[in-house]
Amino acid sequence: MSRVVVLGAGIAGHTAVAYLRRWLGRDDTVTVISPRPDYNWVPSNIWVGVGLMKPDKVTFPLAPIYERKGIEFVQAAATQLHPEGDAQDSTPYVVAASDDGKVHRVPYDFLINATGPALRFDKTEGLGPEGHSLSVCLPDHAAEASRALDEEVERMKRGERRKFLVGVGHGTCTCEGAAFEYIVNLEFELRHRGVRDKADITWITNEYELGDFGMGGMQLKHGGYVTPSSIFNASLFAERGIDWITRAHVEKVEPDRVQYETLDGAKAEQEFDFAMLLPPFSGVGLTAVDAHGADITDKVFAPNGFMRVDADYSGKPYEEWKASDWPRTYQSPVYPNLFAAGIAFAPPHAISVPRKSPNGTVIAPAPPRTGMPSATIAKAVAASVTDMVRGGEGPTHTASMAEMGASCVASAGANPFTGTAAAMTVFPIVPDWDEYPETGRDIKRTFGEIGLAGHWIKILLHHMFLYKARLRPGWRLIPE
Amino acid sequence: MDHDQAMYATKPTRRTVFMRTFLPWQMWRFAVINVKMIELIRRGHRGTKR
Repeated sequence: MSRVVVLGAGIAGHTAVAYLRRWLGRDDTVTVISPRPDYNWVPSNIWVGVGLMKPDKVTFPLAPIYERKGIEFVQAAATQLHPEGDAQDSTPYVVAASDDGKVHRVPYDFLINATGPALRFDKTEGLGPEGHSLSVCLPDHAAEASRALDEEVERMKRGERRKFLVGVGHGTCTCEGAAFEYIVNLEFELRHRGVRDKADITWITNEYELGDFGMGGMQLKHGGYVTPSSIFNASLFAERGIDWITRAHVEKVEPDRVQYETLDGAKAEQEFDFAMLLPPFSGVGLTAVDAHGADITDKVFAPNGFMRVDADYSGKPYEEWKASDWPRTYQSPVYPNLFAAGIAFAPPHAISVPRKSPNGTVIAPAPPRTGMPSATIAKAVAASVTDMVRGGEGPTHTASMAEMGASCVASAGANPFTGTAAAMTVFPIVPDWDEYPETGRDIKRTFGEIGLAGHWIKILLHHMFLYKARLRPGWRLIPE
Repeated sequence: MDHDQAMYATKPTRRTVFMRTFLPWQMWRFAVINVKMIELIRRGHRGTKR
């Protein structure tokens, strides 16, 4: 009998738990530790943020599903790992704290860290729902953004002109794709509500060029040319009358404006009435101690709080990195029974070129690893852990982001007949310059197009993935 | 809208915009994009199969 514990019940954690329960024997226990009671299909939060969905359409309670499947659920936030146990008992365990102050000590034989990101609104003064900007990272944040949007629309209907600012709130943010989806949906919704002519909409980003998305952009075959994604992104904005500010680090968010610095060192400000700015991410702040109580956090986690796995963290210059530096098994190099999945693992380096302003400010997107790669990694980790529970000596399954592709459908307006979405695929996610010397990626498998078909796919994915996450009959036939 | 930004951006022709929501064409594209994505998913799952 083995005890497998998964930290987090987001896309990665929930996927890992579902497969572990299916593959492991009934004598083995599977336990989830997560601070939130609900599952959230995060990609659809943008529709909540423009008022097209209520939060309960993108969330559902986890406890009944876990009870039905025989999965233990501890609603608490993991705080500390004890991978060697303690002086009295060498059984590894994790410490977690509930909202009511109760402290849980949960022993494990194998642990998968799928804690996702901490939303670091604190990195920029005035950023976030507690400050002066909105967010769509959580369903509650998105609902608040929707209410604020309704108020703006009412003002515009009364004849007022309003300024909208959407993008990222720090020079090191990732997930630009989510903010991109939000701005084009916002623009579509303002048109739909008949007030577009009263709105000035501006995109602000830390990307060097539009369409970078933390992946160094994409090269797409189109019209006899291999064209960078920046061209398509700029076209999409120009067509919709959206202005853009690139290479920007937001320093401060005030009630009606942001102060920002650009890569050339210049300082500027941008006024707004409505700002939706995503925060930078870090690890959730887990610590680790050894059997004697000594702090070993630095051994297990990188300085940004994400977990070290089987990647090359030697810190070699950006120009020297290779696709093979990226992790394949997600096993901790220190503790063989410890794995990470999804956003929780520490990337070995940036994919987009890291850049600094003359003032030393880092202005470069961090690598994305949300959605499809998160779930694929989680499945591979669950498969390896299952084999190790059954006696395997090491990880048996791999899911390198340098060997997998990703599909992304970015909604650009939600309507079954007039809506559109940008359907994109990249292969591989992390460019492999040895395999594909010209563009870093397989040009046949990297494509993008905008159309109504993309919107239908987005709707299909919303329902399919929520069905899968509810672990309803046949859930495993739906791919990650 | 910033005039310089719009001036130097590629813009779609009326035909391109029309085709984006032209139902017969979009039904065909729906099938094509799905096939492309399924092939990509299969490729990415090679290391996860049990």
